[in-house]
Amino acid sequence: MDTFAELAEIQPLASKIITNSIRKDRISHAYLVQGARGTGKRAIATLLAKKLFCEHPNGVEPCNTCNMCKRIDSHNHPDVHWIEPDGKTIKKEQMAHLQKEFSYSGMETNKKVYIVTAADTLTPNAANRILKFLEEPSRQTIAILLTENSQSILPTIRSRCQVIDLKPLNPERFKQQLIEKGMQATNAALIATLTNDIDEALQLNDDNWFAQARKTMVQLIATLAENVNDAYLSIHSQWEGLFKERKQQELGLDLLLLGFRDLLYFHMEKTASMVLFQPDGEKTSQLAIRFSQEKLIAILQLILKAKQNLKQNVHPTLVMEQLVLQIQG
Amino acid sequence: MVRKKNHARVIFHIDMNCFYASVEIAANPKLKGKPLAIAGDPRERKGIIVTSSYEARAKGIKTTMPLWQARKLCPELIVLKPDFDKYRAASRKIFTMLSQVTPRIQPVSIDEGYMDVTEVAAEHDPIAIAVNLQKDIFKQLQLPSSIGIAPNKFLAKMASDMKKPLGITILRKRDIPQKLWPMPIGDMHGVGVKTAEKLDKIGVQTIGDLAHADIYQLKRLLGINGERLRNRANGIDNNPVDPDAVNEFKSIGSSQTLPEDTVDPREIQKWLSILAENVERRLKRKQAAGKTIQLMLRYHDRKTITRSKKLPDYIDQKEDMIQITNDLLQKHWDGEPIRLIGITVQDAEEKKSILKQLDLFSYEKEETKAKLDHTIQALNQKYGKDVIRKSDGIHKGDTDLRTSFQKDVLMDYQKSDD
Amino acid sequence: MKFTIQQSTLMSSVQDVMKAISSRTATPILTGMKIEAKENGIVLTGSDSDISIESYIPAESDDNVNVENIEPGSIVLHARYFPEIIRKLPENNVEFEADENFRVTIRSGKAEFNLNGQNAEEYPQLPIVHTDNSFEMPIALLKQMIKQTSFAVSAMETRPILTGVNISLKDNILNFTATDSHRLASKEIPVEADGLAFSNVVIPGKSINELNKTLDDSEDTVEIYVTNNQILFKTRHLNFLSRLLDGNYPETSRLIPNQVKTVIYAKTKDLISTIDRASLLAREERNNVVKLSTSGQQTLEISSNSPEIGNVTEELTVTAIEGEELKISFSSKYVLDALKAIDVEDVKIDFTGAMRPFIIRPTNEEKILQLILPVRTY
Repeated sequence: MDTFAELAEIQPLASKIITNSIRKDRISHAYLVQGARGTGKRAIATLLAKKLFCEHPNGVEPCNTCNMCKRIDSHNHPDVHWIEPDGKTIKKEQMAHLQKEFSYSGMETNKKVYIVTAADTLTPNAANRILKFLEEPSRQTIAILLTENSQSILPTIRSRCQVIDLKPLNPERFKQQLIEKGMQATNAALIATLTNDIDEALQLNDDNWFAQARKTMVQLIATLAENVNDAYLSIHSQWEGLFKERKQQELGLDLLLLGFRDLLYFHMEKTASMVLFQPDGEKTSQLAIRFSQEKLIAILQLILKAKQNLKQNVHPTLVMEQLVLQIQG
Repeated sequence: MVRKKNHARVIFHIDMNCFYASVEIAANPKLKGKPLAIAGDPRERKGIIVTSSYEARAKGIKTTMPLWQARKLCPELIVLKPDFDKYRAASRKIFTMLSQVTPRIQPVSIDEGYMDVTEVAAEHDPIAIAVNLQKDIFKQLQLPSSIGIAPNKFLAKMASDMKKPLGITILRKRDIPQKLWPMPIGDMHGVGVKTAEKLDKIGVQTIGDLAHADIYQLKRLLGINGERLRNRANGIDNNPVDPDAVNEFKSIGSSQTLPEDTVDPREIQKWLSILAENVERRLKRKQAAGKTIQLMLRYHDRKTITRSKKLPDYIDQKEDMIQITNDLLQKHWDGEPIRLIGITVQDAEEKKSILKQLDLFSYEKEETKAKLDHTIQALNQKYGKDVIRKSDGIHKGDTDLRTSFQKDVLMDYQKSDD
Repeated sequence: MKFTIQQSTLMSSVQDVMKAISSRTATPILTGMKIEAKENGIVLTGSDSDISIESYIPAESDDNVNVENIEPGSIVLHARYFPEIIRKLPENNVEFEADENFRVTIRSGKAEFNLNGQNAEEYPQLPIVHTDNSFEMPIALLKQMIKQTSFAVSAMETRPILTGVNISLKDNILNFTATDSHRLASKEIPVEADGLAFSNVVIPGKSINELNKTLDDSEDTVEIYVTNNQILFKTRHLNFLSRLLDGNYPETSRLIPNQVKTVIYAKTKDLISTIDRASLLAREERNNVVKLSTSGQQTLEISSNSPEIGNVTEELTVTAIEGEELKISFSSKYVLDALKAIDVEDVKIDFTGAMRPFIIRPTNEEKILQLILPVRTY
């Protein structure tokens, strides 16, 4: 997304709010952009930065060809600062860098942009320093905070920013896009629920691991339906070997969630929403009758709880073992 | 040694010999027998000798002597920088050993302390105790000490000075005329250079002169301290060995069980201000101020909470205490009926060791505040502050000034005790 | 682009600009060195964004040919490899060539290095300066002003603006001021600036110390240019740029008291050695506080007391003491810093009270001022 016009295709409201403020020359000094993955947060930050520096803007749009726009794209503009968490939280030295930048003039001019990605991972200490900066904005700086997790932003910070809410992407539209790119319709339906990012989607589609993971999780649901003890053992025999990294583990739980949701949809005769199981498959109906609707709802809640545990650093194997035992109980 | 009579006490004063130098030698036996000095900064030619070994002293090296001069007297002098961590550790071990003899120990600095062995002496020969203690310390830590044995702290202190190193000296009351009185007045514990000069003017040159000097003349010259010094010269010193002396300044507080449980804010306010006034009075008496304030609340069900606040500046005024404890109360009181309230000022220090670097942007405010403090202090000063002798040399040790450094050391051994 | 140069000439320039390059930088391109060939010479640039150093090698100077076969162009090369390559080249003659795909070839003797460079357009644009915003002064004088003031900048980030030296120019008087709020150093000199004026130009302490190191002791002059966001120090072959601190430097002149209660005239050397000795037994963690009291018309008593080590008292005969009796405590470190910075034989100290700032100046000069806040004792 190189222009606000392109942004408007997926985020019409956000695009309109920002372009209006540009037209009226009322750009805010602090933005909090919140939205799920792939909803255009970085694009907005980049567009705003370019807007501030572009040498040949065309109305509200940056030219994308001048030296400024190019260097903003390559992260080589010395006065556009990207603060990206390195690991789980923003590191002390990154904060020290930011703190220093707050007190220095710009390198090329006095205009500066600070972009904090994953602003929800700021430590309270770091958040306070940013807050202090937001309290005394200088004329020519913009701070843009990006987050997927808007509840985790301190209210004191939120209240000092103009909040841009990005709407979730329309999975149906995204699915169509993926099909246009040559993906099988059944895969596209599943993948569109897992990501909003087209590149990541195409990558998943080609990924052997993903195919394997998908198979394993379908298998796990079948085992859970039939023999819970086997399910428990399969955590060690299959799951542990395949789902090694945090991201993979999360994706695995997502797949499990979608599988059980499908079964619930099957009960509710909302087969059009199913993504993992075939609505007309024989296996699907066999599995679905093994679980009551109430049981399925309870299972979905257990999986959500497991996802949360994983986020809070509970040991992944423990999370899975617990989940399987609870589904049994 | 006379067997203990009814009220006669047996006091030890133990003094480590050339403590810093001895610790260094114990840590590095190669230094043994060599002239060793501890100095400010050995790389700097201008360094000053802080302490030295007996071998160095034999060559004429003295404390506070500039390094270049010392090197002239003793070219082979080995010079080390002070390593206080090491000395602290050694000190902690020594006091732990002392505490195995008796809990009645009053540490006075990193390398000396008093022990009241009266009770132990009822069962064992005090000289044997002293000999064993000295041996044990030397064997286990390779550190030489001198012990003075006497019926009170003053005489014990004077006795430990009489024979160094590894001396054990008994000073009985009846020994005073022969052993104590001929000594020059400047060697008397409690008499500094300034006091000695003053005494010299009224013809007091020896401790014996002081023992017989006119008490009224002394009082005119030295105030209340004159009488105290004269008593000591006569071997009279009733000060107890006080194991808590070292804790004196750490925290000062006051608490009160209320006549009845209350939730009445006015009643609570009233007590806060009474308690603050108590704490203020006690702080002022000790010429101290503190940096942390703690509020204690005990509820009707005996559940007790303590909440404290660290302050940027030292305070000793009740107004400050009331305001801060009130803030703490508003923040932490859950509204349950209160049975007991307490206010404690922590991290307290003697005012004379409190320093505050003034700030260009706020000094004017500070100055106004200081003027007020000053008036109050002037009043306090009327009350015989001069009894405390300022340190006049390193080797003599300093009984009266306690720094946080020393306090930490001295508290340490108590910690390791429990 | 293309040029031929002597290895030694190139190396000394490379070393100059390397001083500004840091491997840890948030802007990837700054890990590189920019090399620009122009008709009349070569410019090397290095920067860590805080400071930037440009070194200029003229094609010809004093009838010497430094650079030959110049085809203009520019490139950025990674600073990790480039300097080492130049240093280790087998022969003095170096051919440097870059193609449009940013591939660089360095030839010397029989050695040939091929390196991937980066587009020089990605490199930050240093501010363009205008001569009408500049003035000139001797390098030696600039270095002296830095030495006499920069030590007093604050090391604390709590008030970032105080971490820099504030420079101002008005009525052809150049002023440097630094304070960490416990002491303040200020120095003024007359310059020929043609009425040029600016204020609130605050150079980060780190940058100004780096500048002092970079400038050689020489008879030369330096041209100084001030822009909105950077300051440029331009010598014959070197441009040193520093970003400025953003914010308003506090107005310090009104904080300097003018009523005097006690004045001490003394030999700087005597004061330094006496205070230095006293500070030996003062506690380091408390900034080595020492106490000064006057006694009569010519005697100072300087003392310090550190109960666990000992105490020291020394009397010092000074040239003269005027005014009220005085007892004051201060950080010996601050006073020694100030006395050393003043660097004259005789000083005059104006005291305004035990809890107020005192001011150290050369006896017969008002252009330099070292102000120190005392320590309050209770």
